[in-house]
Amino acid sequence: MLERLRLRLRALLSPRAMERELDEELRYHLDQEIARQVARGMTPEAATAAARRAFGNTTQIREQVRDSWGRRWVERIEQDTRYALRSFRRTPVFSVGVVATIALALGLNTTAFTIFDAYVLRPIAVRDPGSLFQLSLIDRRGTRNDFTWTDFEALQTSHEAFDQSFAFHTLFARVDSAPAFGQLVTGNYFTVLGVGATLGRTLIPADAVPGAPPALVLSHATWRSRFGGDSAILGKIIRVRGRPLRVVGVAAPGFGGLGDVPLDFWASLSLYDDLVDGDSLLSSRHPAPVSIVARLQPGVTAKQGEAWLTSWLRSRHADAPERERPVGGVLNSRATATPLSPELVLFFAPLAAAFILVLLIACADVANMMLARGLARQRELGIRLSLGAGRRRLVAQLLTESVLLAVPAALIGFVLSRLTVDAGVRFMFATIPAEVAPIMHVVPLKPDSRIFLFMLVAAVGSALLFGLAPALQATKPNIVQASRGDFDTDFRPQRLRNALVIGQITVCVLLLICAGILLRDGGRLKRLDIGLDTHGIVRLDLQERPGARERALAVLRDRPDVQLIAAASDPPFGRRFPTVTAVDSNQHAHQLFYDFVTASYFAALRVPITRGRGFIDEEERSGAPVAIVSAGTARALWPGRDPIGQTIRLTLDPATAAHDPLASRRTARVVGIVPDVALGTIIDPFDSPVVYYPIAATAPGTALLARVVGNTGETMRRIDTDLTQRAPASIEDIHTLDAYAAVGLYPFQAAYWIAGALGVIALLLTLAGIYGVLSYVVAQRGRELGVRLAIGATPREVTRLILAQSLRLAGIGLGIGTVLALGVARLFAANIVGLSTFEPAAFAGGAMLVLLSSALAGYLPARRAGRLDPIEALRAE
Amino acid sequence: MPKKTPKIDLLQGTLDLIVLKLLRAGPANGWQLTQSIQAISRGVLDVNYGSLYPALRRLEARGWVTASWAASENNRRARFYQLTAAGRRQLDAERAAWERFAEALGLILAAD
Repeated sequence: MLERLRLRLRALLSPRAMERELDEELRYHLDQEIARQVARGMTPEAATAAARRAFGNTTQIREQVRDSWGRRWVERIEQDTRYALRSFRRTPVFSVGVVATIALALGLNTTAFTIFDAYVLRPIAVRDPGSLFQLSLIDRRGTRNDFTWTDFEALQTSHEAFDQSFAFHTLFARVDSAPAFGQLVTGNYFTVLGVGATLGRTLIPADAVPGAPPALVLSHATWRSRFGGDSAILGKIIRVRGRPLRVVGVAAPGFGGLGDVPLDFWASLSLYDDLVDGDSLLSSRHPAPVSIVARLQPGVTAKQGEAWLTSWLRSRHADAPERERPVGGVLNSRATATPLSPELVLFFAPLAAAFILVLLIACADVANMMLARGLARQRELGIRLSLGAGRRRLVAQLLTESVLLAVPAALIGFVLSRLTVDAGVRFMFATIPAEVAPIMHVVPLKPDSRIFLFMLVAAVGSALLFGLAPALQATKPNIVQASRGDFDTDFRPQRLRNALVIGQITVCVLLLICAGILLRDGGRLKRLDIGLDTHGIVRLDLQERPGARERALAVLRDRPDVQLIAAASDPPFGRRFPTVTAVDSNQHAHQLFYDFVTASYFAALRVPITRGRGFIDEEERSGAPVAIVSAGTARALWPGRDPIGQTIRLTLDPATAAHDPLASRRTARVVGIVPDVALGTIIDPFDSPVVYYPIAATAPGTALLARVVGNTGETMRRIDTDLTQRAPASIEDIHTLDAYAAVGLYPFQAAYWIAGALGVIALLLTLAGIYGVLSYVVAQRGRELGVRLAIGATPREVTRLILAQSLRLAGIGLGIGTVLALGVARLFAANIVGLSTFEPAAFAGGAMLVLLSSALAGYLPARRAGRLDPIEALRAE
Repeated sequence: MPKKTPKIDLLQGTLDLIVLKLLRAGPANGWQLTQSIQAISRGVLDVNYGSLYPALRRLEARGWVTASWAASENNRRARFYQLTAAGRRQLDAERAAWERFAEALGLILAAD
């Protein structure tokens, strides 16, 4: 067995040595035969001749021996490759055209895959990322929750399912007056993850002891970008939310924490109470939540871990009232930046589909080019088939040519993708609102082995896609004709060619219509009358320390460029408004959004009070049980009646009623009505019912909104400087409200740009395809057209003939594409709120664009057909 | 001159059987094998040299013989083939198959 393998290997690796051996063996035999004949009495020459004759055809012997070595297939590939390269050199235009087309499409797809890989496939640079899972508690409402500190301590004592675990809290904070993302972690964080430090040390359990000197570890990337890679960083004091922490180390390069936002720093969780306002970690009644990540014991699967967690949680909270008892536990993988979940796949499927469709268009283009080439090689292939070449062999050879074209295309595509990724990131940073740029952290988009594998698979896949059908078509032997001496193969590619062109046009129409829909919706969202005037508003988020709010307010009130100061617990363009249940007079329950605002809120955002009055200062201060409702609420609760003076009765969850800020407003009297306006997120429908309750600007938990004069951005910066000087460490964040709006719209814009770019590329590829096919048709039908011209057809009629063919294909493609687009648009609308499905302008625009372009692409070859000289055409063969 | 008995063409399968049997007696090179075949069959079977070497290589590829270079009787380097254990088993199997075939053929020829 081993011997056989050795033989095979040797035959593969050193065929020449084997040949030499065979030669020697055969020569020995020959010499012996000659010697025998000489011994019989022949002359040496006659003996040699006789021996040679007896021996037979050495070439044939050699070939048969070679067969047994099993090197046939290697030699075939060598042969095919050399043949293919020769033919490429003969038709450079064809070769370059194919490589360029496929390179473009593969480059695009590699770009998309690079981003997908960086977020979803690349394991995080920690020890054994596959065993790390974030734990969540599922409550009765089905929401995922984090745990309390006591939960974490209890978890650490049992090791059945989980080997090690750490707790953390993510925060977005001002670090030395610049925004940063960081985590407060338990002392074993770095040890559990197996991440070291390049400078100094990482956090250790000693840092987590209460009273230990506050330590900070920077991420490598932040150390380089924000601190210039300063080697004297150790020991430096850095202020996080105004608190001083000492830098004790810089983490290893390439590590930015778990999750999809790269972190800037880590500090001990014991500093939580100092840095985060609100409930304390150790508060008995309402402790602050912490996130937990745990490592599964070797041999334990995620399902088993989940089951254990569920039973552990249930037994732990067995004494709690039914309402508060957790239903179960869930594990979420933290192996990659963004775990692969069904929702993620559903979300990105359409995008991936669009990119793949462009690749398919490119392959169709190349397939048509190959078909044209097949036509030219009919004779050659026909002769080879007639001489006995196996069809499989010929197809293999043609496929080798396809693969040899696809591989350089993949390499060029890779270079293109690097350039595109680079340009894309730069473009993104250039187009997002200037205020957001410093907080944008992108996971590094570097090439790795997975990307190369993807490219290889994509290249070979494309080669098969564009090469197989033409190869099969081109090698259909035509026995009957061959017997007559006409060696051309039975090659009638019209149907395939037309099908390819129709397919291209269909995809093109689809992409362009989708781009059009996104454009219209994006534009509509931008110009939407949201009912608020958010220009000229600066939003300030304050640090919740004693006196910080008063100091900030004092500074703001002092400034002449601040016209109005308002506050809201949920300002516009922030998170989704919270909801509460209210009952109307018929005991029907309604879900209402709610917000706590100051009296000046409506004036600051220029929202008119259509009936009744606004809040008064006294009501603000005392938190009186009054309310202002939106028109939508009035319609829902008191249709047809005057809402002023009515009472809103809330249904509160008794379990949480104690801490609920709404507790004192359980019944509130309506004093005013405002129109429907935009809510927290842009895509929530406007006419959702909202109720506003009064709150004072000095109350904690609200963000300040200041209406300013002059250029909002500049004024904002001036306010920032002023506050840093006169009320240091009072604000956490300051931005213009427009920046928030722009960030909310950005994903739509990005989607539109991508769809538009893909649509344009698809259109160009399709047009090139139409042009190529029609040119070839004209060349092929030269004789027929010449005859037509000769017997009296006008050039215009011939032109129209060719043009009609192009338009007919375009028409069919248009029809199918529009129907598909309708279906796709409906799919979109089901998933994304706020998108209108039937945008007539988008459909009409897309269809028109493709129709006109197809006509144009077909026009030039058609004109050439009309200009044919009938004599020349008839003479040509 | 005595009338030459017509030479019988050898089928591929039988050549394998012959070579395996001859190698059972001991290692031999290609030349020696052709001489043995002629001698033992009393001149009836004359191997086409063109089929012998491919056959030997085939046997080698199947693992039924191994080959090595050694000095022949006139001190020249020659490639000697040797039967392996698997080859021995194959020889027994093919011999049995041949005998069954010969018996069956005999029965058919003897039937009237």
